Amino acid sequence: MRKYFNNKLAIALFALPSLFIYSIVVAYPILQTFYRSFFEWDGLGEADFNGLQNYLMFFKDPLLGTSLKNGFIFAAVLVVFQIGLGTILALVCSDPKVKGRKLLKTGYFIPVVLSVTVVCQLWAAIYDPTNGLINKLFQMVGISYQQNWMTSPYASIIAIAFVNAWQYMGYQFSLLYAGVKSIPEQYLEAATIDGCGKWTAHWKITLPMMVETFKFCFIIAITSGIGAFVQMLIMTSGGPGTSNYTLTYMIYRYAFTESEYGYACAISVMLVIISLLATLIINRAFDREKFSH
Amino acid sequence: MYDNAMTYMKKTMQIVMQFPLWFYFIVSIYPLFWMVSYSLKNNDEIFVTNPFGIPTHFRFENYINAWSQFNIPKYVINSLVVSTVATIGILVLSVMFAYAIARMQWKLRNAARVYMIIGMFIPIQVIMIPLAILVKDFHLTNTYGALIIPYIAFGLPFSALVFYGFMKSIPIELEESACMDGASIYRTFMQIIVPIVRPAVATVAIFQFLAAWNEFLMAYILISEESMKTLPLGLLLFQGQYSTDWGGMGAVMTIASLPMVIVYLLFSEQVERALTVGSAVKG
Repeated sequence: MRKYFNNKLAIALFALPSLFIYSIVVAYPILQTFYRSFFEWDGLGEADFNGLQNYLMFFKDPLLGTSLKNGFIFAAVLVVFQIGLGTILALVCSDPKVKGRKLLKTGYFIPVVLSVTVVCQLWAAIYDPTNGLINKLFQMVGISYQQNWMTSPYASIIAIAFVNAWQYMGYQFSLLYAGVKSIPEQYLEAATIDGCGKWTAHWKITLPMMVETFKFCFIIAITSGIGAFVQMLIMTSGGPGTSNYTLTYMIYRYAFTESEYGYACAISVMLVIISLLATLIINRAFDREKFSH
Repeated sequence: MYDNAMTYMKKTMQIVMQFPLWFYFIVSIYPLFWMVSYSLKNNDEIFVTNPFGIPTHFRFENYINAWSQFNIPKYVINSLVVSTVATIGILVLSVMFAYAIARMQWKLRNAARVYMIIGMFIPIQVIMIPLAILVKDFHLTNTYGALIIPYIAFGLPFSALVFYGFMKSIPIELEESACMDGASIYRTFMQIIVPIVRPAVATVAIFQFLAAWNEFLMAYILISEESMKTLPLGLLLFQGQYSTDWGGMGAVMTIASLPMVIVYLLFSEQVERALTVGSAVKG
């Protein structure tokens, strides 16, 4: 049997094609990004080694402040909307008396399978200042809060983040719902028999037991907020001006419109470091020890 | 009497409790309903007479115009080719790779598995710039290969891990007896392993097809030629050209969305399972 699974030719035949294509398309570019981040390079000609210059430039870049701020606002909107509201919906939906659960879950999930272009263009229409759904609704109800959502430098980043939050709500919801369902019902029953209200029981028992689920959901929401890009590209082209820039938008701009590939690589490296830091902090914050009584 | 009032109260409470669920259901679905409705209206109806409801007169000509005047058939074909070939490529390569790391005996197999898993945690932004240059150097810009090869590579880690987990749960006795009967390793793989992993194949295939069909960022960077664009890219073009004809725009968006919504409605359980598997593997 050992000899059977030791067949060198078969191993090569099974494993090498995948390793080859993965190495060229994923592994090699990662190393290139790190390596090139220490060069001044336009992507075509000679690359000049310039040590940590690109990184120093990054910390002085006037776009950095806006980009970081927008990344964190984006992440915050995702956390509040998807995880906050998503958890409430998952808890309510887990009640065995709820009817039409399948229909609800399907309805929440449909936006997830749509193309991001369709979703962004649909919401651009919804936010349209004269003919959009939202301003029309305000008009109908008689609220004079109509505005140009996409050109306001303050509201637009939140409005755009909301589009992403809306689209992927179904995904986070199904993770959270699976988390709620994974907790044995006896725990909750025991608590309610002891005279606990249902919501107190959820607060004291269900939520602390979902630590692992929350950890995963927070990592997804926060890293995708920090790395956000496509929504700004499609809906506002990063504007007005550069007010909707994010770190990925900076990478895109420096690499593909200004041909500063070396500097763009350095920003990519910084994006990875910031995302890793965020992941570490979340892991710490949701340390299982803290939640076990 | 009193009992009746109590049950009545309880019923009302239940409905009130469920209200947030149905409220969010409307938030989630109504924009799509609105899109499909305005794809069947003219501007007058969208803007003035009937912005919110079902169209009074179904104007299918919006669809005919969108389909015949613009490149939609071309985009649909491009998306189909790229997504289908990429999905098949991912399935074939990842089943083979998974078998090599799940069953075959070689020194570096754990290293190979870890090496592959790392790919799932790498944000695409880190790969984007060198990959764009690589594609240019290989003269693949504006070809199907420019998308198919990266999509296969990005899909491999997740799929290989799903199959790896699946194969680990298959009792080895089946293969042992095949070996005793004198079947070659290739025959064992094709006639025993491949049929057993079929349920996982369905899950992975749907997941990868969806991902490829909707992929935007890499396509945006690697494809510039009109005739090679996939649907998500092609749609961007309409934004400018169609800015005054909302009905046409809505029709284009509905055409692009319908296939995926149907796939989801038909296979909703597999799609959701694929995603939870994904989260279990990642977390």
